[in-house]
Amino acid sequence: MRQRHSIFQILLIGLFVTYMLIPIIATYVFSVATKWDASILPEGYTLEWYQIAFEHPYFSITLTNSFIVSFSAVIAGLLFIVPTTYWVHTRLPSAKPLLDMLMILPFGIPAVVLALALIRVYNFAPLARSPLLLISGCVIFSMPFMYRPVSNSLMAIDVHTLTESALNLGANTLQILVRVIAPNILPGILSGSLLVFATVFAEFTLANLITGASFKTFPILLVEFTKQDGRVAAALSVISFTVAWIASLAILWVSGRGRKPMEEALGAR
Amino acid sequence: MSSVRHPRKNLSAWAGLIPFLAFCLVFEIIPVLVLFLGSFTDKQGAFSLSNYEKISAPIYIRSFWNSIQISAITAILGAILGLLIGYAIFQLRSTRLREILLALSDVTTNFAGAPLAFAFIVILGSNGVITLAFEQYLGLKLYPAFSIYSYSGLILAYLYFQLPLMILLIIPAFAGLRREWWESAHNLGATSLQYWRRIGLPILTPSLIAGVVLLFANAFGAYATAWTLGGSNITLITIQIAFTVTGEVLHDPGAGNAMAVISLLIMSVCIAIYHVANNRARRWAK
Repeated sequence: MRQRHSIFQILLIGLFVTYMLIPIIATYVFSVATKWDASILPEGYTLEWYQIAFEHPYFSITLTNSFIVSFSAVIAGLLFIVPTTYWVHTRLPSAKPLLDMLMILPFGIPAVVLALALIRVYNFAPLARSPLLLISGCVIFSMPFMYRPVSNSLMAIDVHTLTESALNLGANTLQILVRVIAPNILPGILSGSLLVFATVFAEFTLANLITGASFKTFPILLVEFTKQDGRVAAALSVISFTVAWIASLAILWVSGRGRKPMEEALGAR
Repeated sequence: MSSVRHPRKNLSAWAGLIPFLAFCLVFEIIPVLVLFLGSFTDKQGAFSLSNYEKISAPIYIRSFWNSIQISAITAILGAILGLLIGYAIFQLRSTRLREILLALSDVTTNFAGAPLAFAFIVILGSNGVITLAFEQYLGLKLYPAFSIYSYSGLILAYLYFQLPLMILLIIPAFAGLRREWWESAHNLGATSLQYWRRIGLPILTPSLIAGVVLLFANAFGAYATAWTLGGSNITLITIQIAFTVTGEVLHDPGAGNAMAVISLLIMSVCIAIYHVANNRARRWAK
């Protein structure tokens, strides 16, 4: 089936890569360009836009807020979703379809709808428009990203034998989970955590609608700057892209050290 | 495990699910149910269809129609192009190159929202790099026929995250096409075209359908990209719903509930079709 590469094939891949890379590269270059509106390359380079961004009073506030929300979502995922997934896999296989369904549900709820629903129901203190409500929304929204890799990792190891051996040796459930299962599914847990982190860090909709001006996150600052100063917006976009790149590369590195999901997806060839 | 057979033990096993189920109930299921009920009540709390009457106003109908159109166009374009590019990637001889391209798709499909929208403004905005290059070197004026701040621009920006998603969805399906099937067809005298028409495409069809509906849902629920690009110039249903939250003028909260319920209905249909198609596709996976 595999013949020589055709021109059509190379052209398609070339166009795809160009389409994927040009917006990113252009933003990186734009963020360090003094002036870039008259020639194919910028007239000079500067770090001024980054300096303005860093010195903006909201820069460190929004960055901190985004880190708080992202880390909280990761921790909630580790505390709620990992044990639940393990529990269903070993003790309650009959609940697996229910869990699967609950994990598909967030994909079916647009972020604006989730935000609207949460705001309407929790319109009283201390939850109303609070960072806590935002974090809860982010946990719901990012649940599937933690569940998938963890569930796949659990399926790949002999979780029943491990659990029973540990039980026979007198371990309790918490000990089994932390000292036996977790180390064995570590690549899944790490991939899930990184995915949750990256998604929540880039989340604009929930933050803008639930907390808005009272608890600004990094993407909110970015959107504000797209309307005020494009240069600074470019610098903020670059920071945002870089966080996403680092998280993605870390996921690839982590899952590459476990099993090879890419090769698996392609079948043994 | 033996626990399944003991009802009492089984009950205690269900107890282990309580924290998670409670969380989902409190922050997902109850809020959505309240929204649903709220859409059928008037301001006094009596049953009423007035919210649905409100959203039959032209502005809301147009928003729904725009959302459906943009989602359908980017889903179909994304699926066709993703199928072709996915096949081109799948057919690469170098495993390393294939992995790099898959990794690229993995990363870029998550580049949605504000930074992506801004990246498109950098290259295709009215003073964008490509806009100016076209004008200077090719003498082509993109504006006002094209504008990144309008629907045509939105389609281009949405395709940026739709294409890699389709590639990631379709490549496992190509891997399911077994070499023996091609060989058998070939030995029986089938041409390439006959192979694809009679064997290849029918097997890929469930994956293609799953891909199209998932892409549709992906675009239908999107908000940040459209909001950053077009702001209130773009009337999409997600933007209208957001207006009822941020309390913009003339936007009725009841109408927001009704729009949200209809959006949820559309999304559920997509997810249901995806589920069925995906199960069908998996029949060939092993």
